Amino acid sequence: MSETQVNSTRHKGLAELLDPRFLARLDALDVLSHRMLRGRLHGQRRSKRRGQSVEFADHRGYVAGDDLRFVDWNIYGRLEQLVLKLFLEEQDLTVHLLLDTTGSIALPDAAKARYVLQLGAALGYIALAGNNRVTLSSFRDGLSGQIANLRGRAYLPRMAEFLLTRNPEGIGDFDRACKQAAAGRIGSGVMIVVSDFLFKEGYASGLRRLISSQYELYAIQVLSPQETEPTITGDLKLVDVEDGDTAEITVSAALLKYYKQNLAAYCNELKEFCVGRGGAYVLASTATPIETLVLDTLRRIRLVR
Amino acid sequence: MEWMTPLTGLLAGGIAISGLVILYFLKLRRTEQMISCTLLWKRAVQDLQVNAPFQRLRRNLLLLLQLLALGAMAIALAGPVLSLTRGPGKRMVIVIDRSASMNATDVAPSRLEEAKRQARVFVESMRSRAALSLQDSSDQAMVIAFDDRCKVMSNFTADKRQLLAAIDAIEPGDGRSRLAESITVARAFAQSMGVEANNRSSQEPAELVLFSDGRIADRDSVAVGPDEVRYYSIGSAAENVAVTAMQARRSYENPEQVTVFATLANFGAATVRCDIQIAVNGDVRQVQNHEIPAQRAEGDPPQERPGKLTVEFTLSQAGGAVIEVRHTAKDSLARDDAAWAIVSPPKQNRVLLVTEGNAVVESALKACPIQRLEVCTGAQFDAMDTAAMNAQPPYDVIVLDKQSPKSLPKASYIVFGRPPDGIEVTAAAEPLENQPILDWRGQHAVLRYVNLTNVFALKAAKIAVPRDAQTLAEFRDSPAIATVRRGGNTLLLVAFDILESNWPFEPSFILFWYNALAWLGTQTGEQLTANLMTGEPIVIEGLPAGTTGTIAGPGRTSEPISGGDAGVVRYPQTDRAGVYTVSLMQQAAKPFAVNLLDEHESEIAPVTELTLSGQAVASAEGSIGRANVPLWPWIVLGALALVCGEWMLYNSRIRL
Repeated sequence: MSETQVNSTRHKGLAELLDPRFLARLDALDVLSHRMLRGRLHGQRRSKRRGQSVEFADHRGYVAGDDLRFVDWNIYGRLEQLVLKLFLEEQDLTVHLLLDTTGSIALPDAAKARYVLQLGAALGYIALAGNNRVTLSSFRDGLSGQIANLRGRAYLPRMAEFLLTRNPEGIGDFDRACKQAAAGRIGSGVMIVVSDFLFKEGYASGLRRLISSQYELYAIQVLSPQETEPTITGDLKLVDVEDGDTAEITVSAALLKYYKQNLAAYCNELKEFCVGRGGAYVLASTATPIETLVLDTLRRIRLVR
Repeated sequence: MEWMTPLTGLLAGGIAISGLVILYFLKLRRTEQMISCTLLWKRAVQDLQVNAPFQRLRRNLLLLLQLLALGAMAIALAGPVLSLTRGPGKRMVIVIDRSASMNATDVAPSRLEEAKRQARVFVESMRSRAALSLQDSSDQAMVIAFDDRCKVMSNFTADKRQLLAAIDAIEPGDGRSRLAESITVARAFAQSMGVEANNRSSQEPAELVLFSDGRIADRDSVAVGPDEVRYYSIGSAAENVAVTAMQARRSYENPEQVTVFATLANFGAATVRCDIQIAVNGDVRQVQNHEIPAQRAEGDPPQERPGKLTVEFTLSQAGGAVIEVRHTAKDSLARDDAAWAIVSPPKQNRVLLVTEGNAVVESALKACPIQRLEVCTGAQFDAMDTAAMNAQPPYDVIVLDKQSPKSLPKASYIVFGRPPDGIEVTAAAEPLENQPILDWRGQHAVLRYVNLTNVFALKAAKIAVPRDAQTLAEFRDSPAIATVRRGGNTLLLVAFDILESNWPFEPSFILFWYNALAWLGTQTGEQLTANLMTGEPIVIEGLPAGTTGTIAGPGRTSEPISGGDAGVVRYPQTDRAGVYTVSLMQQAAKPFAVNLLDEHESEIAPVTELTLSGQAVASAEGSIGRANVPLWPWIVLGALALVCGEWMLYNSRIRL
């Protein structure tokens, strides 16, 4: 039995979303947090809280009350000064994935919704394989489903089942979803929101709720090429799939120019919003293979390593 | 800029453009398409509207182009015309020569057609009434066609279609060219306001625009102002051989023998050898081959005279016949290649002399070629059965010598002395005395070669003739000889007694009798005036009231004619030369020969400088140029370009 076959039997559900060979490459990665956050367990993660880890970080002068166990006696022997050794403490990380399953994700083609799920699966796989605490949420007008506090590869099938049962439809309420997601968070970690971020009421208030000192925010905006480079022509009545709102347009070069300008401005605004608040932003086109996105783009922004 | 048919354009434009706009609204049923979010599209549309103030227009650029194209087509339909002439409108009289010489084919298809074509161009180049213009600068024109009579085809109008229709309606004739009547008529019309009295002054001088070959017979009796006539000379060739005179006459000695005289004229510069054929009732009887000399200069100052040839044919023809003389030379004008004459069956008059005894008259009558002479008194004449005489006239001519019968049976009469009652000729109670004849009409058939210079009447009746009577000779105060037609009878009135004048001693006396019997003989029965010139009316008199029939002739088949209550058939439209046949109820068809026989018309060389009573009128140089440029082809071209642009734009949008 080859390795691929082993992998495919192991991740039967997951294989419907991701290529087993790709999954094998994901094994080598882990979710990275720029802030070395403090977890509840001595996990595999470095924390700024220097403590009982083995990795030396720095020295500092002794202050009365300090634990004598951390005094560097070798320095005292040489210099007769009490210096405290500081160690980096490795901590565990909560990876919270918030996936968009509103109606808008299902359009303009099925690839967009699948892309969101694939991305959720890949990131979830990396997080679970890295022994992190993983929470997966999907939202419409509020959270529509959640599996919380998974840890370890044993939860992969459950995660796969969760993802495969997502059915994008209905009106989205991002603010409410964010409020619910933020309320359910524990500990610290990484908050990854995968969505097209095309919310009429705006994304700002929702994202603001997700920003905290405990969680690092990643916004991954998934857009179809149909949305970035529209190819429609003629006199059209565009109908919003979520709320049925209509826009009558006559496609012209000028209109397309203004559409693209608006889209670029929108994306840029979102990026500035995220970056300005210590988060990160990625624009993912469904035309980009998921492998390229995860192994290249997400690595470049150091979401995974 | 003028508009030929502004109403059509407005109508078409209104319907088409409103139709297009309605169609455009119908077209805007947009296709529905589901998308993930309308947010960005709405913003884009907003941006588009904010950033482009003319966006509505731009978005409907297709509609705009279509509207422009339709508008252009509507404008083209309205017939815009760019007028190249300036100044106020003019009044013009278009005078077109339709005489015989205009039938010449030296300019294809004929001179008349060429004249009509040039006249049409002239009319088209007139300025029309500008429908959207405040000042009326339109030209007005009337159309006159003339040969020896003038025919007004159209009164003054600015309506070009009416003028063109009037020009098209001109038909070729075989008459002579006489311009004087046309000029009189044109001036009379120019004094009136015309059909459209749109504040145009009748004082505006009307310009005469003459389309002719310049062969005008009465050019010396036409007086025109220096710039009154604009003349367009039509024609190029002069070569023509014509029959210019023809006569068919029965021999006095042998009435069954017919002698035909014909004169042929050659107007070309070269001698022509051709066959001259004579046909009787359509069958060629004789052919003679002759050489007709070329035209030559004669006289002082030298004038071109045609080469002439006189031919004579002698035929044996007992009955009536239609005789045709025709030459076979090829020339430009075919209308004068033949001439016709009607020969009646030999017939001599039966004459009744009603007198109380007049040896002079009796011997004069006996000297004339008459069939039979009877003499009776007035009482015997009154005793005759008038009804029977009316039914079948036993006499052709009745001579009343100082008689006043109670009734006048059907016949021709020569009346001496007091006229009989019932013919509307009144005689004064007091006779005139010692009257010389002062004047007489030598052209009339009765007085041909009759010289009345020395004729003197001791006593004469002072008669007053009705208006339709023809006075042939006059005393100082009263007619001496007159003809009058009453009740189907022709009366030749001589207002004095032969025996109370010196006339029997004059040589003219016997000539008068000969002429009078010959003339009166043609006025009754079968002897009809059957040899006419073009333009002379065909007249048949003495028919029963209500007679109807048909007439056929050159260019016309079976036109109905009617005698009316007066029993007189008049057919004036003899403008084509040829043989006309009149078929009346219960009578044999009667032929009439209508001939051109005019040297002046047959001389077809076009005149480039017309001299009208000493006023030289030069032919306008070159052909008539267009003063009006129709703009519609350019506008249609523009509309086509707009449609192409619209198509290209539409395609570029589809490819976006």
